Amino acid sequence: MENLLSIAIFLPLLGAVLTAIVRKEKFSKILSLGISSVVFLIVLYLFLNFNWSAQGFQYVKRFDWIPSLGISYHVGVDGMAISLLLMTSLVFVVAFLWSLRVEDRPNLYFALFLALETACLGVFSALDFFLFYLFWEGMLIPMYFIIGMWGHDRKVYAANKFFVYTFFGSVFLLLGLASIVVYGYIMTGKLSFDYTFHLGFSYPMILQTAAFLLFGLGFAVKIPMWPVHTWLPDAHVEAPTAGSVILAAVLLKMGTFGFVRYSLPLFPDASKYFIPLIFFLSLVAIIYTAMMAIAQTHIKRLIAYSSISHMGVVTLGTFAMDLNALNGAIYMMIAHGLSSAALFMSAGFIYDRVHSYHMDDLGGLARYVPKLAVLFMISGLAGIGFPGLAGFVAEFLVFLGTYKNFPLWAFIAGVGVVLSAAYFLYMYKRVMFEEETISEYRLEKWKHLKDLETHHMLSFILIIASAFIMGLYPYPFVKIIEQTSRYVLGG
Amino acid sequence: MNWNAIIPELVLSLGILLLFVLDLFLQKKHYRLLGTISAFVPVVSLISLLFVSYPAKALFGLFEVSSLNLLGKAVLYILTSLVLFSMQDYYEKKDSVYTELSYLPLLSTLGLSILISSANLVALFLSLELASVGMYLMVSLLKGEYLSKEAGYKYLIMGSVGTSMLALGSAFYYASTGSLFFREYRDENSLFVLSMLLLLSALALKASAVPYHFWTPDAYEGAPTPITGYLSSVPKVALYFLLVQLLGYFYHLKQWLLLVAVLSVLSMFYANLVAYAQRSVKRLLAYSTIAHAGYFLLGISTVDPQLQKALLFYVSLYAFASLGSFTLMAVLEKRSGFSHHMLDYRGLFREHPFLASLFALFLFAFIGIPPMALFVGKLGLFIGLVNTMLFPLAFALVLASIISAGYYLRVIVSMFLEKDEKRFPPARVSGGEAFTLLLCSILVVLLGIFPHLLYDLIGF
Repeated sequence: MENLLSIAIFLPLLGAVLTAIVRKEKFSKILSLGISSVVFLIVLYLFLNFNWSAQGFQYVKRFDWIPSLGISYHVGVDGMAISLLLMTSLVFVVAFLWSLRVEDRPNLYFALFLALETACLGVFSALDFFLFYLFWEGMLIPMYFIIGMWGHDRKVYAANKFFVYTFFGSVFLLLGLASIVVYGYIMTGKLSFDYTFHLGFSYPMILQTAAFLLFGLGFAVKIPMWPVHTWLPDAHVEAPTAGSVILAAVLLKMGTFGFVRYSLPLFPDASKYFIPLIFFLSLVAIIYTAMMAIAQTHIKRLIAYSSISHMGVVTLGTFAMDLNALNGAIYMMIAHGLSSAALFMSAGFIYDRVHSYHMDDLGGLARYVPKLAVLFMISGLAGIGFPGLAGFVAEFLVFLGTYKNFPLWAFIAGVGVVLSAAYFLYMYKRVMFEEETISEYRLEKWKHLKDLETHHMLSFILIIASAFIMGLYPYPFVKIIEQTSRYVLGG
Repeated sequence: MNWNAIIPELVLSLGILLLFVLDLFLQKKHYRLLGTISAFVPVVSLISLLFVSYPAKALFGLFEVSSLNLLGKAVLYILTSLVLFSMQDYYEKKDSVYTELSYLPLLSTLGLSILISSANLVALFLSLELASVGMYLMVSLLKGEYLSKEAGYKYLIMGSVGTSMLALGSAFYYASTGSLFFREYRDENSLFVLSMLLLLSALALKASAVPYHFWTPDAYEGAPTPITGYLSSVPKVALYFLLVQLLGYFYHLKQWLLLVAVLSVLSMFYANLVAYAQRSVKRLLAYSTIAHAGYFLLGISTVDPQLQKALLFYVSLYAFASLGSFTLMAVLEKRSGFSHHMLDYRGLFREHPFLASLFALFLFAFIGIPPMALFVGKLGLFIGLVNTMLFPLAFALVLASIISAGYYLRVIVSMFLEKDEKRFPPARVSGGEAFTLLLCSILVVLLGIFPHLLYDLIGF
């Protein structure tokens, strides 16, 4: 059982090596889809067997890896991690499904995505700082090439910006890790990178503050929080569809995951001390980027800004120091993963067919691609937290919890929800309706527009069904997540 | 006389003599054989390391053997052998095959091998000169090319300045202590400090640390590319193994930390910033070497076993990554018209996906991205610096690493994400080059994932 988790993590990497060696297009497509499905099933099995009433990490596997530096191979999951793993593995299946028609160097494309999957699963499972950092950085190179090689017009600029921002953040994260490892060494005389070893310490305030800021900078760039968010719209706009899907659904969660997994339990006092700062940054993210989203005419850019806004809700809930709010924040990570994946798929589909992301070039599409119109609507509603879908439960919990401790902040953040409805509906109207903008020329071109194909439908169904399940029957998910929240908040 | 201690050096010397003799009798068409024999000489030396019993002293105490410097020698021999294996094809393509090719690298390596073991300023001076003279010649060995001759000349002049500093430093050292042996001297008179300043400066010049780096970009650019690979790897390893041992004698000198810190911070920031202005990838990597000299010097800023272990691990792996990348550039350069200008690297991935991927791997390693082994080295330096409370230096290391990412990325962008404008004939990789490239890349990745294989060998 404890080996299953490691198998799930490294199976995609094995697949990446195989695709790189065999170099047959069909093989790499089938293999990627097959491997990601197997990984999903393994994670689903682990999820279903997860004991939510027990404390601590489960499916733990540990052995010494680099003894002289105190580094071990240590993986395991708690409630939050297993939920994120499930979402991640699902989204990867969808990404591969969506990419079945990729024609430009497919072997490399699928190999990079498979390597990326290993890195993502690893980040959520690692219980050793070194291992965690290895996976954290491991996603950088594949994603860099995915954006840079399969992206749109300004792909090189976007890829470089993505790399430099993320690298900047993670080097500070590394410094943070090093500082607490060294503190542990000075205190106990034992050099250890083990996460569970460090949980036992209560660090002095000065170290907590410094490490919180160093870790926080690394996480903030990844989330991304305002004001280090500017790489995200560029990366999203230029990335290929599946890249955007993974970026929004999985990579952004690494940052918020880091806050819950590392910052809160390791530096509880500093976390409390920095609540006003985090709240301020979150609120700016929620309101300001929502307003930025309203101003966009580029649908992918709009969805990218909406992501930043929603991640603001996650950080708000994370630091509200309330069980419900933290549950909501973790729930939101998964809910947003699903909804943003669906939204980017919709945008990507529109681009594939019409070759434009600009609202002015669209308008009145609903008549020609009715299936997409329905699914796009549902995706959008999932994104803005419509009742019955996962996002609603998440936002409700976050605001409920935050309101208890910080009513004013919760109230201001609530405005963001209204704005999110505004920008989505406005965008939807301009893209799907407004038939008066259809010129003769456009009519001629669009008459033969092909609606969603089977693999598209399947991708959407997987995502949207999950969003509905989590929206209509949240109990088991909240219970599993609560296993982490209770622990993190010290109860 | 303890012959056992100097077996590896004896083997090297005999090998060189053998090559001299063969040189007399062989005709030009057999020069390839000479090259092959020369590549095996360091391999035999490497094997002979197994027969050295350590710790030991020889040559009236001038020469010391310990587990640490044996490890350093092993790395030197492997690197030299790889250089010799991979460089033949390059010289044939350049139509510059001379018999000197086979023994000059060995002479330099012999010098460096003695350098690592030297326990006395005389041994240090002689071995460093032996190594340097070989290197001056190697740099200027493309006799038909102006740049190569200019590089050799410049290197010679700057190197002689280093030699003079070393000589003067040794004289002051003798004047203030009455001995040329390294010992822990605690009476810090100003003459002693001055001698240290001069000695460190001379070594910093060889390590291409700012402000003694001026020769580096020109020598690297003008030298035949395999020799650039040699310059950027073999002497660096030897120097840092030596410096770590010197640290053991002189760490209590108050000025040591200040001096080393200034050198390293200057190197890191100056080189990383100037690298952005480079158009030639070969020159860019020369600046990367200078920046790395800065990172490495951090490792001898203070005594801490973890710090020094990390440094030696880092410098050894850096040597392999560096040798790998220059070998790769030599492969590319064999195509006619290729000039190492950034534009010439455009679209390399489409033409030669494997070579481009390897180069990207080495460049990512230089940035310090895991799982490449250089990351472990950088991490070790971090931890060591934080552990010894040198926070400003740790912070400088972080900042410099971030700055450096950009220019490495530009090369990667050229190769992978841009379309080629010029067409070159396809590159052919010889057996030796393929071996060197594969071994370097495998080591860089493998020791990144299992660093303890080497890390635990570095004993103090």
